[in-house]
Order: sequence, then structure tokens, then C-alpha cells
Amino acid sequence: MQPHDFGYFEEGHLASGREIRLWRRLLAFAGPYWPWVLVAVLLSFAVTGATLAVPYLVRLAVDRYIVNSALPVPDRLNGLLAMAGLFAAVAAGGFIVNFCQVKVLERTGQSIMQQVRQRLFSHLLRLDSAFFQNQPTGKLVTRVTNDIQNLHEMFTSVIVTVFNDALTLLGILAMLFWLNWRLALLLLLLLPLLLLHTLWFSRLARDVFRAIRTGLARINAFLQESLSGVTVLQLFGREAETRTRFAAVNEAYLADTLRQIRIFGVFMPAVDFLNALGIAGVIWFGGGEIMAGRMSIGVLVAFLSYLRLFFQPLRELSQKSSVIQSALASAERIFELLDRGSAMPVPALPRPNAVFQGAIAFEGVTFGYEPGKTVLREITFAAAPGETIALVGATGSGKSTVINLLERFYDPERGAVRIDGIDLRELAPEAIRKQIGLVMQEVFVVPGTLRDNILLGRELDDATLARVIDGAQLRGVIAQLPGGLDARIGEGGLGLAAGQQQLLAFARVLARDPRILVLDEATANIDSETEIMIDRAIAATMAGRTSIVIAHRLSTVRRAHRIIVLDHGRIVEQGSHRELLALGGFYAHLHALQFNNGTGGTRKQEEDLNP
Amino acid sequence: MSGERHAAAGVTTPVAATFGGKAGQAWRLMRPLLLRYRWRLTVGLAALIGVDFLQLLVPRLVKRAVDALAAGTASGPLLPRLAGAIVGLALLIALCRFVWRSLILGFSRLVERDIREWLFSHLLTLDRVFFGRHTVGATMALATNDLTAVQLAAGMGVVAAVDAVVMTIAAFGFMLYIHPLLALLTLAPMPLLALITKVLSAKVHQRFHKVQEQFSRMTEFARSTFSFIQLYKAFTQEAAQAARFGRMGEEYVRDNLRLATVQGVLFPASGLVGHISLLIVVFYGGRLTIAGAITTGDFVAFIAYLLMLTWPMMALGWVFNLFQRGVIALDRIGAVLAARPALPAPAADGSIVLAGTIGLRGLSFTYPGQRQPALREVGVEFGQGITGIVGRTGAGKSTLCQLIARLYPVADGTLFVDGRDVNTLAVAAVRERIAYVPQEVTVFSDTIARNIALGDPAASQSAIERVARTAAIHEEILAMPQGYQTRVGEKGVKLSGGQRQRLALARALLLDRPVLLIDDGLAAVDLETEQRIVLALRDHLAGRTCLIVSHRLAPLQYVDRILVFEGGRLVAAGKHAELLTQNRFYATIYAFQRMEEAGEGPGHAAA
Repeated sequence: MQPHDFGYFEEGHLASGREIRLWRRLLAFAGPYWPWVLVAVLLSFAVTGATLAVPYLVRLAVDRYIVNSALPVPDRLNGLLAMAGLFAAVAAGGFIVNFCQVKVLERTGQSIMQQVRQRLFSHLLRLDSAFFQNQPTGKLVTRVTNDIQNLHEMFTSVIVTVFNDALTLLGILAMLFWLNWRLALLLLLLLPLLLLHTLWFSRLARDVFRAIRTGLARINAFLQESLSGVTVLQLFGREAETRTRFAAVNEAYLADTLRQIRIFGVFMPAVDFLNALGIAGVIWFGGGEIMAGRMSIGVLVAFLSYLRLFFQPLRELSQKSSVIQSALASAERIFELLDRGSAMPVPALPRPNAVFQGAIAFEGVTFGYEPGKTVLREITFAAAPGETIALVGATGSGKSTVINLLERFYDPERGAVRIDGIDLRELAPEAIRKQIGLVMQEVFVVPGTLRDNILLGRELDDATLARVIDGAQLRGVIAQLPGGLDARIGEGGLGLAAGQQQLLAFARVLARDPRILVLDEATANIDSETEIMIDRAIAATMAGRTSIVIAHRLSTVRRAHRIIVLDHGRIVEQGSHRELLALGGFYAHLHALQFNNGTGGTRKQEEDLNP
Repeated sequence: MSGERHAAAGVTTPVAATFGGKAGQAWRLMRPLLLRYRWRLTVGLAALIGVDFLQLLVPRLVKRAVDALAAGTASGPLLPRLAGAIVGLALLIALCRFVWRSLILGFSRLVERDIREWLFSHLLTLDRVFFGRHTVGATMALATNDLTAVQLAAGMGVVAAVDAVVMTIAAFGFMLYIHPLLALLTLAPMPLLALITKVLSAKVHQRFHKVQEQFSRMTEFARSTFSFIQLYKAFTQEAAQAARFGRMGEEYVRDNLRLATVQGVLFPASGLVGHISLLIVVFYGGRLTIAGAITTGDFVAFIAYLLMLTWPMMALGWVFNLFQRGVIALDRIGAVLAARPALPAPAADGSIVLAGTIGLRGLSFTYPGQRQPALREVGVEFGQGITGIVGRTGAGKSTLCQLIARLYPVADGTLFVDGRDVNTLAVAAVRERIAYVPQEVTVFSDTIARNIALGDPAASQSAIERVARTAAIHEEILAMPQGYQTRVGEKGVKLSGGQRQRLALARALLLDRPVLLIDDGLAAVDLETEQRIVLALRDHLAGRTCLIVSHRLAPLQYVDRILVFEGGRLVAAGKHAELLTQNRFYATIYAFQRMEEAGEGPGHAAA
């Protein structure tokens, strides 16, 4: 892999030989919409019928009235008028049918895709954390957007027309044999040539198409990364180098597109050439048949027009093959995701959802995200309902992992995590998470108002909501927002500062009123005034709940009933702030580093700042 | 400035003007490209037109054969000769087709490549003022979706247009020759088609735009959902989030159906107009034939020519669409190419060497689109040594760093480097003297070593390790799976916020520039490490100018001077000890933080 390919890599190619299976699954998606698909197919017959009827009507007009000198002139003129009326009706009908077909195809295709997209999105959301750990976000996003779009392209613009084309081809072949089987047989000699040519082309086209797709994705990834970091590139004076690298990616893409043009440039004219060979054959051999009195001139003319009709869909068929190939590749990737089950076993008969009391116990828990890399070793601790436990330890000591296990994002390798004495593996993950309030450093915002964002689908009466807002110290924030509680936030709305988002996170927990709180205190970027607000919100949120806190501030550590000090996945010390200081170990050592002047004199000051 | 860069890239700069219609804008962009590829285009178009005329010959050969067969004179070598001629002609046509496909479609891809390169080169010259108004996603769409529209118009659009024009002229010529009035009547519905196409194309475009917007909204929604998946799961928002996505999807379906309604009228409309013409030929031409004004053969030929017109007519509506989309896309691209950096760009003066003293005189600044100034009348000098900058959120600390790093324009006579007004210096010349550590760190998908060596890819391993040590990240890098060769970014190891910031610091230190700005760039690093870093910087930066913005005061007790900002103003300056006794704000915050941060020590001790 090139250095600095800026974030792009493509997964393996579509395995051949699995296409039939893919098709079957794809068509299954269309299953519920079969009446609409049927209507679309019928409409496409009607469209073709109307198109074919027009030349026939013209011929009738010519044969019966225009050149029929046996008829008196007024009758011929009247007949012509009648034919013109019929003609107009067919043309108008064709237009309407065509319109309906476009609408029906779009509605069917879009409905099917909406269903697939929804299924995929919901499915992905149900997958376990280990899955997301290993998946680049961009890849998943592409699956639910662009890959679905590729499928849609195929459903609406290809499937129905391909079906129709195939039918037309068969019809023409039958017609040719009926008209003159000897000449038809001769022309049939072209068929293997044509098939071979088309097959060869499809393979080349598929490969080059894939290369182009990859190239475009690479360009996208490059743009994404370099434009996001454009300031850094400018400050470091890397413009020239970045430009050169981009030119290389761009150039590679150009080379692939030019290759595609060459492939099509050979294929398309070659099909036309085979068509001309057919015409020449009809003239030579057919002419001989006529001279021998075995065929009429009308049949020869018919052969020529059918030949043209025969080659037209073949040209398009191969053009459509790239759409199909792209859709199949997308389908393969979509199915791969849909087939992936959650690695998190859910009990067949989960326990009924009892309301937690909030007693938490880790019993000899050992866990690692990857085999052979243990993150937690023999962790044992317990929290009684209402107790606050502070987790402290270095980055990578396993604090977040404790939270991940408590939320049942993962199951322990050995040992058990219990809430109210129940092993979490006996509970559905959702049932657990509904009863745990989580405040992390990052806060998500859903599209909607601040109220929507606090409630997240819950219903609260005004008095309760007011208490939630006060507890989370959001009163001041709301007063500043235009529209207050009903201000739209997030995408297309107002942005919240980091500190305000933290407060929102506390409000969410208060609104859900769970027995258990998990808190990863924010470390950075919050000014001292907001810090005070957050401190109050923490106090309000912890009150009366079992709390597991990754603590970063002294006030929180002091509030904790017990501090658990983690080091390399083991519990090295456990006790209250005072006990641990008295112990004179790991915790006390670090504490002394920060407070070599002693803490006695400043405690008063802190209390002043934290009324 | 951008002109030089484009010239350097071997591409002439299109001067995109802000006036004139979209077509004018498109023309200005395309003109240099048309000139550049004029030979390719000339030969390609000649081949294309050649194919059109050669194609007209085949039916004539067939007609001769049919006539001879009808007359019973098709004996001897006539049929094989005619068949041979058809094959020969077909070979020639195939050759011409290959030529025009290679040359004209190739042209469209070359155009795509060139414009993408211009665009990217130009974007690299634009500053924060531009990127504040345009999201990365929208800018990327220009280089992909919009360019695809341009490429389609320049390739198949041109082919279809030429085909349409040539075939129409040829066929119409034959028709005029047969019967002028009939020919004119037959073509009478054509303006109708043009009108329908024009009106509906505008609608198509507008609705297509809505579809695209909704699509990108869904993309962003999916992205943020997957990025914060654990949070959504923790709040059991899976079903609710899927329902939200579903509603967006339904909206998307509706938008698409609205688009299909217009398209469903537009595309069959050209076929309908063709049928109306045919109806006129059959009815009026039929009457002419019955009246003996034209012969039966003429009548049949007339229909044949009209059929030849069907494809060009259908193509016309399509071409119109392609061109319109292409023009709109070019207009959008042109608008970005016309955007100029807000920073002045005086000619680079290679002779000056800046040492790195920075002077501010009455410097005020307001962000574009905001009313409240972020900095008010700041006057201060920065010389050798480390200056700490503290203040509340929004006090103007970060703004100060960004202005010094020349990310935003400043008024004349307010910002000086070595006594020279920065507006008289090339931006690059100033930036070359400054290393900057931003709060939001960009990590590129590459190895750690190459990320640190961003500013100097040729840096030696020992140099990289030296700065990594100063930035207190060396040990952690060694602990990673492949050490300095560990890949980070989208597909690699995810770095913590503190690691990213220290990586950015190492990256800046490697440049070894006279000025170092740390714009709250250690906020995610724990206190103890930050203190260690500040101490290390004192040795590392001897003789250089360094500004450290920090929310935390404790590490700043080791710096030479501290500036306190409040509401965009510089309110106090002095050493840590002086400020503690003289500045109430500073003293209060310091006391508070000392208490607060105690809990953090163990939390990050080994970080």
C-alpha cells in the first residue's frame, strides 16, 4: 500500500459463482412488491406495444389508403383521417403509459430500497460493540447510502428492461426462423461470435469498472482527509507535496477511465460491425434465395429490419452490465453485513425486566478485547445500592473497560458481572442499559429540539421536566437559547458548547431516573464557571443512585464512598480518599505529587467555590 | 498567488468572474481546456461526423441490391460485391467510431482530471474564512458529483449534440428537397419540444437538488450514528434512531417520486413530439401523395428520414439536460475557483529572514459573520521565552494564536513580525517561521513516524524520537504494536485525545521554527504530563518564542510570563507569582483548579 493513501482501502472482490445466490436474495427483497413489479412489467409491454404499433399503423395507412388507387379519392381521404385519429390515440396512449411506467418503477424501486436500507440500518444498530470496534465508520455509511443507491439503480433501470429485451430477442429469433429457416440458420452463425464478444467484454468492463470505483473512492478519501486537515497542511507548508500526491491519485483514476473508454471503443463498434456482417449476409445469401425463387423481397426487407431490432438490445445489454455488476458488488457487501449476527449471546428466555435496586458486583472478571491481550484481570468489587465508586488509574488501566462490561457492551471472559445478584448474561442488553444512566465525555445530539434531546422519546410532565432542567443546571443555557427548550439543536440548528453538552447529558440521565449512574468525567476545555455548573449537576445526578465514576476531580473523588485504583487491569488499592492517603501507596503518592503543600488550608476555599 | 500555483502545476488558470451568466462562467472555465485539446477535439469530431455520413451510405447500398433484386438483374458478381462493400464500409465506420470514442470521451475525462486538479490546488490556497463557510462535504461534492456532471456533458453530451445537429441537418436537407412545405410542417412541433425540455429541465434540476440534499442529510445521520454507536446503545436509542432514519428515508423516497413525476413527463415528451411529426407526414404527406403532388417513393423516403430524426430528437432533450447540469456544475466550481484567500498576498520577498519577535498594536478582530469582536485593542510584544496565555472560554486566547499563525486576515498596522507589518509579508513567509499546535488535531492515515514528520518527511528517526521525547509520547509510541511504524487514523490505531495532542506537539517541534504556538493544544493531556512537557520545552526552546494557551494554570508557573485575557482584552500580565498576588481572577482560578485537579493525577499518571 502506498504511503499516505489517506484513509482508503477497498475490501475484496466479488467472488464469482455466487451470483445466482445473490440474485435469488435480491429478488426476495422485491417479493412483497410483486404486484407492483408485475404492473411495471405489464406497462413495459404496453410501452413496447405502442412503439411497435406506430410503424404498423403507418404501413396500414400506406397500403390501404395512400397507394390504394383502387379506392375512390374521398374514401381514401376519409380513411386516412381515421388512421390519423387512431395514430394520435396510440401516440397519446403511449405517452401516458410511458409516464405511468416511470412512476411505477420509481415507486417500486424506492420502496424496495427504503425497506432494504431500513433493515440494514436497524440490523447494524443491533450488532455488538466488537463489530463496530473493527469497522471504519465510512465503510458502514457507504453501505446504507451508496450501496443501496446502486441496488436501486439496477432495480429501476435494468431489471424490467432486461426482461423485456430478452423477450424481444427471443421473439425476433422465432420470427426469423418462421420467415426463412435457412437464412436464419446462417445468421445464427453470428450468434456464438456475438456471445463470445459480449462475454469477453463484460469481463473486461467489470474489471475496469471496479478499478474506476476504487479510484473514485480513493479520490474521495484523499479529499476528505486533506480538506479536513487543510489548515495543518498549510501551516506545515505541505501544499506542494499534497498536490503532487493528489495528482498521482487523480492520474491513476484518469488512466482507468481511459482504459474503460478503449474497451467500450472496441466493443461498441464491433457489435455494429457484426450487425453489418449480418446485413451483408442477408444481401448475399438472401439475394441468392430470391434469385432462386425461394424467398420474396418483402421477407428480405423484414429480415433487415429485424436484424436492426435484434442488435439494439444487445448493445444496451452490455452497457447495462456495468450497472448490474456494480449493484451485485454492492449487494454482496450488503448481504455480508446482514448475515453477520451479533456475537453477543442473548438469552433465549431473558429474565423479566425487574427494576434494579442498584447493587453492582464484579466477581473475578477477566477480559480482553482481542485474544491474548488481557485488559482486566480478576477484578472483584461490589457497590451497594446508592454507593459511589470512583475508578482511578492511568490511561489503559482498564477504567473504560469496566464501564463497557457493566453496560454489557461485552461479556467477560471469566468471572461474572452482576446487578442485584443477576448475571448480566441472563439479561437482554437493552434491559440493562435502560436502567443505567450514562454520561460520557462525548455527547450525541439527535436532530430536533433541546426538549427532544433531553427526553429521547420519554414522556415527562412539566413539573418533572423542570426539576430535571434545574438539576442538570440547564436553566441558564435554556434562557440563552432563542426558542428556549424548543430551540432546534444539532445539524441545521444551534450548536452547543462542550460544557453545555455535558449538562445535556446529565439532564438525560435525570429524565430517565435510573438506579445506576455511570459517569466518565470530562477532562478538558471547560471553563471554570461551567465546571462549577457541572459539579452541581454531578451532585444532583449522583444523589440516591449507585454511581460508577471515572473521576478526574478531587470533589468527585471525595464524594465517592470508595476509590478503586486500577493499574494494568488489576485493582491495586481500594478504599476511601482518606484511607488511601493513610495507606501511603500508589494513590497517596500521586496525590502528594500534586499537593506537596498539603491540603488542609485550601479545603475551606474549595467549599467557598462549591456552595 | 493561486495563478502561480496553477502555472506551476502546468495548467492555465481560468479567471472565473463573479459577473455574467452561468453559461458565461462555464465558458470561461472551458475555454482554456478547449484550446488545450483542440487537435484531439477536431479529429474526434471529424470522425464522429464521418460516421454519421458513412452510415447514410449503407441504406443506399441495400437499396441498390433490393432494386436489382426487384428488377431481377441481381445476377453474377453484383450481390457479393455489394455485400463486400457493406463489410468494407462497416470496417471504416468501426474504425471512425473507435477514433471518436477515444478522442472525444477521452477529452471529457481529461477535462475532469484537469478541473479536479485546479480545484484541489486552489482549495489548498484558501483559508479558514472560506472553509468556515463551506463544509468539507460540500467541497468534496464539487470534486466528485459536480465534476461527473461536467464530464458527462463534455463527453456523451457533445457526442449526442453533434449527432443530433448533423443528422438533423442531413435529414432535413433531404426532406426540404422532396417537399419544402411538408418538411417545414413536419418540423413545426420541434420548438414545442425545446420549450417543454427547457421548462421541465429546470424543474428536474431543482428537484434533483432536493434529492441530493436529503441524501447527504441521511449520509451525515448515518455517519454520526455509527460514530457514537455505543452512546446510542447505552441510551437504548437503537429503535428510535432507526425510526428517525426511516423518516428521513421516507422523505427521500417522496423527493425521488417528485423528481420522477417531472422526468416521467420529460423523457416520453420527445417521443410524443416525434409521433406528432410522423402524424403530420402520414396525414398531410398522405394527402399530397393521393393528390399526386409527391410520389409514393418520396413519401416512403420522407418517413425514412423522419425516423432518422427520432434519435436526434430524443437525444436533444437529454443533451439539454446534460448540458444544463454541466453548466450549473461548472458555475459552482467556478465560484470556488474565484474565491480568493481573505489574507493579502504580497509578492514573496525572498531576501527577508524573520527571527520571530511578534508585535501586536491595537489588534482587534471579529470573526466573519459575528458581531461581537473576539479580540479588542490588544497590544503586546512577544520575544524569546515562553509566554502563557490564560482566560475563560471565549476570552480570545485561541483567536490570538490563529491570527499570529495567519489563519485569518488582520487590519493593516496591527500585527508585526520582526517589526514588519504582516500584511506586507507573504503569508507563507510568516508561516514558515511558525509552528502551530491546534486544539483539534488532524491525524492523517499513516504511520506515527510519518505523522510526526509531516513538516519534514526527510527527518531522521533520531530527530523524530527526540521531539517525541520532548512531547512526552515516546514511551507510549514504543508500546504500540509496531512502534513508530504503527498506522493511525481511519484504518489504524485510534489515538486518545491526549496522544493526538502530544503527537501534534511533536510534529510542531520537529519543524524547529523560531515561533511555537500551542493553542490549548495540551488540554487533553493530564496535568502532570503537561507540567513535564512545559519544563522540557524550556530547555528545548532556548532562544525561541513560544506561546502556550492553557486552561490550567499550574503548568504555567514555570513560564517566563503569563498574559490574562478577559472578554477579548488583555487585562493583566506578569509572572505566576506576581499574578497570584496582584490579579484576583488569576488567584481565584488557580486556587480552584488546584483543588479540582487533584483527582486527575492518578487518573492519568502514566499517560
